[in-house]
Amino acid sequence: MKLRPLILCGIAAFASLASLQSAWADRLDDIRKAGVLRVAAFDGNPPFGYIDAASKKQVGHDIDLATEYAKSLGVRLELVPTNPANRIPLLTSGKADVVFASFTITDERAKVVDFTTPYFLVGQQFLAKKGVLADAEQIKDLRIGTEKGTTMEGNLRARYPQARVVLYDDSPFALAALRNGNVQAITNDGVKLTAQWNQLPDKANYEIPPITVSKEYLGAAVPKGETRLLESLNGWLVESERNGRALAIYNTWFGPNSSAPLPRLLKIGDARLASAN
Amino acid sequence: MSLFEAAQAQLLSPIYLGWLLEGWLTTLWAALVVIVVSTLLGVGFAAARTSTRSGARRLAALYLSAFRNTPLLVQLFFWYFGAPSLLPQAAREWLNAGHRFWPSFEVLSALVGLVLYATAFVGEELRAGMRGVPDTQLQAGTALGFTRAQVLRHVTLPQAIRIAASPLLGQYMNIVKNTSLAMAVGLVELSYTARQVEAETFKTFQAFGFATLFYVVTIAALELLSARLSRRQAVLPRA
Repeated sequence: MKLRPLILCGIAAFASLASLQSAWADRLDDIRKAGVLRVAAFDGNPPFGYIDAASKKQVGHDIDLATEYAKSLGVRLELVPTNPANRIPLLTSGKADVVFASFTITDERAKVVDFTTPYFLVGQQFLAKKGVLADAEQIKDLRIGTEKGTTMEGNLRARYPQARVVLYDDSPFALAALRNGNVQAITNDGVKLTAQWNQLPDKANYEIPPITVSKEYLGAAVPKGETRLLESLNGWLVESERNGRALAIYNTWFGPNSSAPLPRLLKIGDARLASAN
Repeated sequence: MSLFEAAQAQLLSPIYLGWLLEGWLTTLWAALVVIVVSTLLGVGFAAARTSTRSGARRLAALYLSAFRNTPLLVQLFFWYFGAPSLLPQAAREWLNAGHRFWPSFEVLSALVGLVLYATAFVGEELRAGMRGVPDTQLQAGTALGFTRAQVLRHVTLPQAIRIAASPLLGQYMNIVKNTSLAMAVGLVELSYTARQVEAETFKTFQAFGFATLFYVVTIAALELLSARLSRRQAVLPRA
């Protein structure tokens, strides 16, 4: 009878030691061991991440960055398509290792995930039919569409609480709503809007007025507490700026010959300005 | 931080709970509207399906295959994004602008889509109920001088509804659950607000947990009603 409790104690001690062992092996080791880096990226938000009509593959600026990082680690890249509202749930539930999806860095989000150094700078702007929106004062009287799960809705609610805001699942839906007249303007990162506007068959009827609601810094995100993964990703981002790969990828999607020409506002590793609210 | 404070930090703050409650109320009244309208239309649909006129029967069969065989989400997208492009520009602008005592276009198209979809299913349940009423009832009714429509209203339908009560309530439960799809076209119901709360607070478990709780409570209420009705039916003698 005395032997049994001793054996049970021994098993319990061994089990807790074993679980302690697995607790020390972190995500970076798991990625290297599995040989796969799972990256959550957009599949409907050109040019950051979208499905190319010709090749039917998921391509974009963020996907290029993810591909090169995976190569630097020596593992295979597995893309997990996502929409704005699913980015954090995918990280916290362990279904993705890194989020490369035009993710705005905010203090609120930084409480739940860890952000890298910013790799992109955008402003929140509006796309509307010509003549509808000329002044920031008019915003509160309009019906505005945007995407669920983004900082856009919070910004509008903070600054223009009387504006009627309708949330759609993705930016293509918001654009369809604009063209149908369901909403009078849509708001999003200036970059996404330029890309969307450029692809419209009747783009002469639409404009992006020179109104910016806020500046947004985009970063990649990893699960909270994964410091080695974060350091590895940060180190790679800064290195890619130094050896020109970051600029080359930027020019592929936003350079003067691309479909969404935009002057580059941020070099990776630049000291970040105090986040504009 | 004390244990109590730690636990409290995990709860949703009242403003977000308020959003969820408002979303739940929207789910409830939208489901109620769809239930009532689809039942009324379903009676007409069931009558058309069992009509003596072959034209009515064929139209009803066409309606059934159109609205039962396509996914509800696709139908909702059609009514919100697709159908308006067939309307003239002036009508579209009027529908999209806000008016007092008139639902927004998001609400209108969601309700239209949900009603048309539910009518197909509710109508079929009513038709099955009507089939359960013995044929002799119709013969006796017409022998007494009732028209077919009068027989339907006074004789067949009350019995059909009693027979189909349980499956009908099952369809009503589906209607409640289907309202969640309308979040894709902007109906601010429980699923939409749950997503909003999650995006603001990042308390995924709490936001969706509360939403699940509210849905379960609603469906459970319908289930209780269904159990109560079938118990009464067992006691009352059938006609």
